[in-house]
Amino acid sequence: MNIKKTSLYGTATAITCALALSACGGSGGGSAAGGTYDKDATVNIGSLYEPQNLDNTAGGGQGVTEALNGNVYEGLFKLTDDGEVEPLLAQEHTVSEDGLTYTFTLRDGVTFHSGKKLTSEDVKYSLEKVLADDSQSARKSSLDVVKDIATPDARTLEVTLSKRSISFVYNLSYVWVINSEAKNLKTSEDGTGPFTLKKWTRGSALSLDRFPGYWGDAAASRQVVFHYYKDATALNNALLTDAVDVVTSEQSPDALGQFTSNAKYKVNDGDSTTKLLLAFNDKAKPFTDVKVRQAVSAAIDDKKLLESVWDGYGKEIGSMVPPTDPWYEDLTKTDTHDPARAKKLLKEAGYADGFSFTLDTPNYDPHPTAATFIKSELAKVGVTVKINTITPDEWYTKVYQNHDFTATLQEHVNDRDLVWYGNPDFYWGYDNPQVTRWVEQAEAAATEAEQTELLKKVNRKTAEDAASEWLYLYPQIVVANTKVSGYPLNGLNSQFFAYDIKKKS
Amino acid sequence: MTERATGRTTGRPAEPTTGRATEPTTERTTGRRRPVRSYTLLAGCVLAGLIVLLALVSLVWSPYAADDTSGGRLAGPGSGHLLGTDKLGRDLFTQVMTGARIAVEAGLGSVLIAAVLGILLGLLTAFAQGWLDDTLSAFLDILIAFPTLLLAMLIVAAHSATLGSAVLAIGLAQSAVVARLTRILVKRVLTQDYITAARTSGTSWPRTVAQHVLPNIWPTLVVNLALQFGLAVLAEAGLSYLGLGVPPPNASWGGMLQEAQATFTTAPAGALAPGILLVMLVVGVNLIADGLRDTLDPTTRRRRT
Repeated sequence: MNIKKTSLYGTATAITCALALSACGGSGGGSAAGGTYDKDATVNIGSLYEPQNLDNTAGGGQGVTEALNGNVYEGLFKLTDDGEVEPLLAQEHTVSEDGLTYTFTLRDGVTFHSGKKLTSEDVKYSLEKVLADDSQSARKSSLDVVKDIATPDARTLEVTLSKRSISFVYNLSYVWVINSEAKNLKTSEDGTGPFTLKKWTRGSALSLDRFPGYWGDAAASRQVVFHYYKDATALNNALLTDAVDVVTSEQSPDALGQFTSNAKYKVNDGDSTTKLLLAFNDKAKPFTDVKVRQAVSAAIDDKKLLESVWDGYGKEIGSMVPPTDPWYEDLTKTDTHDPARAKKLLKEAGYADGFSFTLDTPNYDPHPTAATFIKSELAKVGVTVKINTITPDEWYTKVYQNHDFTATLQEHVNDRDLVWYGNPDFYWGYDNPQVTRWVEQAEAAATEAEQTELLKKVNRKTAEDAASEWLYLYPQIVVANTKVSGYPLNGLNSQFFAYDIKKKS
Repeated sequence: MTERATGRTTGRPAEPTTGRATEPTTERTTGRRRPVRSYTLLAGCVLAGLIVLLALVSLVWSPYAADDTSGGRLAGPGSGHLLGTDKLGRDLFTQVMTGARIAVEAGLGSVLIAAVLGILLGLLTAFAQGWLDDTLSAFLDILIAFPTLLLAMLIVAAHSATLGSAVLAIGLAQSAVVARLTRILVKRVLTQDYITAARTSGTSWPRTVAQHVLPNIWPTLVVNLALQFGLAVLAEAGLSYLGLGVPPPNASWGGMLQEAQATFTTAPAGALAPGILLVMLVVGVNLIADGLRDTLDPTTRRRRT
């Protein structure tokens, strides 16, 4: 699944791999470099997301992706900060005519931090680890198509799929390549990345040291330390007092004034893929009726909510697709704020006198605020909202597993998660056979152009159907001391490549 | 009851029953103590009274409707909004008033549950003997050792996050404290000669309890219940702070504090107003408890004079 993990969220319930896809800026943006920098510097990174453990197939949380993805562990491919899929540990790959057999040639001269040489056996092991029964990886279901993995020689890996999967290579960028002999992966690591894990002090910090035996360009700084904070105020104070050099993502616009007004700091407004959704249960009355869903969508002034919560940051969206996905189209026109139209639609649907429904609201920000706003907006068209506050764990069992809800609020972190509308068994219960077919065809497409075209259809159809009410797209705000540069701008909450970060001496 | 109360306030702590305040020391004692108790009580009554007033007014009038989002984002105090607005443009003063009502309701409701359940349970356990006595008191100790907030979170999770379940949870947790106190007090009273006297003269147990036991433990209980009121208000604020109390759009002070936390540097009123009112109510109630103790509790008065 692809739901944002919160610090309260203790289990493996959430999708943790939000990715940085962005059209703007090159990878490793940050503020202008300029001047000399200290190769022996320690870069201090402040974050709110401490890993639960260090294994991304065992519910490590989004913190583990943030700290270790690309820094300590690498995949066959990587998703750059501007959203391109690039080969990383795979030097090249070929696809068979029928699109079912992928042959990867591994990069030569890659060693694990333990000193062992990378072989195709390790990649096979890593892929199997993601697919294992007890795996809690977010990509497990997407990689289900893997039928067979063979290792003809130490540098060649052959993967056979049960059916065409155009996203296979993209999905591989989520699979960490781990030494097949490594133990205790929840507390230690053995990857191939530019940093090795130095020390993880639970509850406070995780430090990474430059790996001298790295196959590629060495990390720009000698050491990187992720400092973990429980609340945003403490995190901002750490930045103000130079305890940290950069904050991976700000969660409120109101503390930013102290940085925008200070020349010592740079506030970067990047693109995220996190959407806030009012998700209807499309299988529960009255939201089985398209008109009711459209009416509710039209009654809510998304723009005002975005202004309220993010004070000018963030973007309006008209569908599930963020601008960084290849099949993005601006569909905000299909979801304009129009209370008169809402009333008309309600009348047509037979709810001229309105109706009442319960909104299951997760108890952490921004959901209670959004729920309050939605209640007040819908009251204006005669719809009564009963707000039921629930904990993240309750949300997971009640809403996500049991589909026992009428409507709910949730943040969806991932890129490319439009495809969930093709799954009628997903929690929101959107069941349109045509859409399901398009999604399947898109995945089986031979070319990316074909895939993009089909998913654009899905995008338009779900938007017209108001399958959910997409409230807004979060901003991705990275605040940094001007001493540092080279940090990722669109890193989102989950990926934060630290190897290019330079610090002036 | 008034007669009994008079009897106690006039300094006859050991006086078992209603007593008649005829001892010559009476005037002197009360005369000397009056200033102390009136200041504490008065201060407490003023502080808590203001909040109660706010809560009562909110029932009939508030400057804006609770869900009126017409104000600007985080507007400062003034500009048509006495305390300013929150992120959604809702009037803070309106919210603070609603919060006062919720706080008072939470306090009263919890204390009512705690008092009824606690006193009944305390009386029952006080009459238990032998192993039953040990078991029951161990049970109460365990209940008390269990953090109120955790118990409340359990109940809220099993039930749903409403003011009712919060009050129920807090009241249940506090009833253990009241029960233990009642038990100890009753046990002490039961050993007194006047109980034996009452029993041997043929008074039934229920009558003895009503006439001799309860009046003697009442002062200490009332003081404790007043303290529990303050704790209940804090517990509800804590639950709401965690998002497990009263659901939005109802503004609980705890929820308001949580929301305003992120905007404290730019719009401090959102956090200051509920914070100050919360302190006023809790301190006020504690002062009342202090004042009541000085006034009602015979043992402390004797020690001091």
